[in-house]
Amino acid sequence: MNKHWLIVIVASVFEVLWVIGLKHSYDVWTWGGTAFAIVFTFYLLLVAGRYLPVGTVYAVFVGLGTAGTVITGILFFDEPFKISKILLIILLLIGVMGLKIVTDDKKEEAE
Amino acid sequence: MAWIALIVAGFCEVFGVAMMNKWQYEKKATIMLSLIAGFTISFSCLSYAMNTIPMGTAYAIWTGIGASGGALIGIFFFGESKDWKRIVFITMVLSAAVGLKLVS
Repeated sequence: MNKHWLIVIVASVFEVLWVIGLKHSYDVWTWGGTAFAIVFTFYLLLVAGRYLPVGTVYAVFVGLGTAGTVITGILFFDEPFKISKILLIILLLIGVMGLKIVTDDKKEEAE
Repeated sequence: MAWIALIVAGFCEVFGVAMMNKWQYEKKATIMLSLIAGFTISFSCLSYAMNTIPMGTAYAIWTGIGASGGALIGIFFFGESKDWKRIVFITMVLSAAVGLKLVS
């Protein structure tokens, strides 16, 4: 696990936070935190894109963000648990691990 | 109208991802502004579309257009790898994401 992938994972965690924020914010502080999380997420994606292909970064970010949102929905917001959700998350994680394996750090090679 | 808004939202997201890619090559203010405009219009159209189209469906279509379009533009215009394994894994991740949005 190198640090460029870790940046994408952190970006996905912040995405989960702002997706929750968009739904549940109620005052200046929660909306402010949500806005900060959105800006920070995109900043992290741009940083990750320096080292990894942007198409891969964005796909992994969307995938992990979705998985995280579904999991927090089940754990904290009373959304129904379904086997189909778990199977799709497993498929998604296999895809992410596959991408990790087949991706070279593009710009480190060039430099 | 909601469906048109949703498709516009998807394409603006593709545009935003393309600008993220372009930003890696030239760090110009116009590119950053286009990036911000692309995602802002995209989110606005998406939330407008969700007034009519169920949330899971709208999200799924938006993600499907946006992230797969972003990946294709990376391959065709920014020289990203078209290795079949990469394409298979991206397809897996995105199909699972679309599926999750549909079942949620």
